[in-house]
Amino acid sequence: MTNSIELTGISKSYGGLTALGKVDLTVKRNEILTLLGPSGCGKTTLMRIIAGFEEPTTGKVVIDGKDSTSLPPEQRPVNMVFQKYALFPHLDVFDNVAFGLRLKKKPKDEIKREVTKALELVQLEGFKNRWISELSGGQAQRVALARALVNRPAVLLLDEPLAALDLKIRHHMLNEIKRIHEETSTTFVYVTHDQDEAMILSDRVVLLNKGGIEQIGGPQEMYWSPRTLFAAKFFGDTNIVNGTYGLADTSNGFVDLPFGRYAHTAKNSLGAGPVNVSIRPETIGLEPALGATLADGAFAGKVKDTSFIGNRVIYRVAVAGGTIDLKCQQLPTPGSHTLAPGSDVALTCKPDSFVVIPA
Amino acid sequence: MIRLFTYVYMLFLYAPIAIITLFSFHSSASLSFPFEGFSTQWYEALFSSSDFMTALTNSAIVAAGSTVLTTLLGTFSALALMRMKGRVKSVFAFMNFAPIALPGLFLGIALVIFFSLIGLPRSLLTVVIGHTLFTFPFFVESVRSRLEYFDLSFEEAARDLGATPLKAFWLVTLPIIGPTIAGAAILAVALSMDEFLITVFVTGSDTTLPLMILSMMRRAVSPTINAASVFMLVVTIAIIVIAGLVMTLRRRRLELERAETAE
Repeated sequence: MTNSIELTGISKSYGGLTALGKVDLTVKRNEILTLLGPSGCGKTTLMRIIAGFEEPTTGKVVIDGKDSTSLPPEQRPVNMVFQKYALFPHLDVFDNVAFGLRLKKKPKDEIKREVTKALELVQLEGFKNRWISELSGGQAQRVALARALVNRPAVLLLDEPLAALDLKIRHHMLNEIKRIHEETSTTFVYVTHDQDEAMILSDRVVLLNKGGIEQIGGPQEMYWSPRTLFAAKFFGDTNIVNGTYGLADTSNGFVDLPFGRYAHTAKNSLGAGPVNVSIRPETIGLEPALGATLADGAFAGKVKDTSFIGNRVIYRVAVAGGTIDLKCQQLPTPGSHTLAPGSDVALTCKPDSFVVIPA
Repeated sequence: MIRLFTYVYMLFLYAPIAIITLFSFHSSASLSFPFEGFSTQWYEALFSSSDFMTALTNSAIVAAGSTVLTTLLGTFSALALMRMKGRVKSVFAFMNFAPIALPGLFLGIALVIFFSLIGLPRSLLTVVIGHTLFTFPFFVESVRSRLEYFDLSFEEAARDLGATPLKAFWLVTLPIIGPTIAGAAILAVALSMDEFLITVFVTGSDTTLPLMILSMMRRAVSPTINAASVFMLVVTIAIIVIAGLVMTLRRRRLELERAETAE
């Protein structure tokens, strides 16, 4: 059995409002899968359906091979780290972490052993007797992790766990979560709206939008091969250029853009027609224009503004007679001058890196 | 300047109580100065009066009965309020609160009519019902504002860790809201002990303490009234003090347990 979770035909509606359309999803054993999307996309609803706090309007939830659709949360082999941690304020750290084990009536010495191990895993060994109110945000989050993982669930759900933390701690905690995942080999389902977290952490990303799955893939695939306009615009920065796709012959295509025609064969069997082309800023070559004639394949542009960020420079360049602005990203070398607004530049594109999406 | 104002204000507030207490120990039957001497005769008269003891017992029974009912109903209401959202919640909260503004007179009259309609004779039972209705909105209001801060994810976390809804309530919700409920219950007891207006309407032949004090005033004005009033004051203060002590002792005991199991 390679799948931790299988969701088939899951949908959720409240009265007239549809939170989730028909969703099919499998979560592979031991992977870190991230549900990613803007607020209102349905990622939290989907996670709560897996946990058992919401009942799906239609569909089936199979966890570890067992149909769990109508099982209440306390009977599912799933544990959750809540967004605000939900640590019990009337119990100390030890009792919080031991809570699940005590409910299962495990023997005292086993509980002590497991809780100690769990606290060691999250690096909070000396914190057994602390009260919840005495913990910092990062410490509280680690206690929440320990409290969930000590029960050895088949699946660990993490509901935007880093949302309440400072930026500096967030990166540290991301690495902690990765380490803990490797040490426990549990399936993780992570929910966030932050694309950086998703990219850094995940084996696979599920991009959700308005209650439906836009695309599923690994971080690289999501970045370089988005299949919809929403997906292309969601990850990082990109230029969306309107153009036309045409077929020179059965195995070769081309893209007509306002600043030139490029040979590009679309991956899925795309027919001729209007398209949106996603061009990543870092794939556009930029050189100062030396004279009136341009090199082969280059097209003219004028810099509109310059943003020096340190490890990169972003130029906004007006091309095609000023009708389109293209964002271009360059790596500055120490001592080099960044081009000032108004400079004439020659741009080159790499058509292999185009992503062509039907309009 | 402000300090002077504060002293005058305190004097204004506590002077009547001080004078009443003073004259409850008066050796003569006069309720005006000059003060002739100390005596506990009025207290002795009070406690040897079977009418007084009966009224006291009745007040205690009514306070206990109505507080238990109010606490049960009020806790369920509070739990329901925690789960409501938006407009339904506001309406429900308002409906819980509105009776506080209702004149006791109205409630008293309405209850009398109601009891006679359903054929329930007026007795201590009707007084208990009246007091429950009276203290209920105070209980819910005092619990509701603190419960705004109760996060439902506590219960979800408990269930996620394997607790049935009942166990989640018992192990997590109740301990967290316990102190709030207890405080509101004490308020209910104090309100019931003091309640007069509704009681006058709905009681049969049974007297409660406030009623008895009124009838004493009608019959003969003597320091016995003072003694009875001071007694009521002491009882109310005692309830609150004992409650506070119980809480503090409980906390201290828990801290000792923590220290013992710590390494």
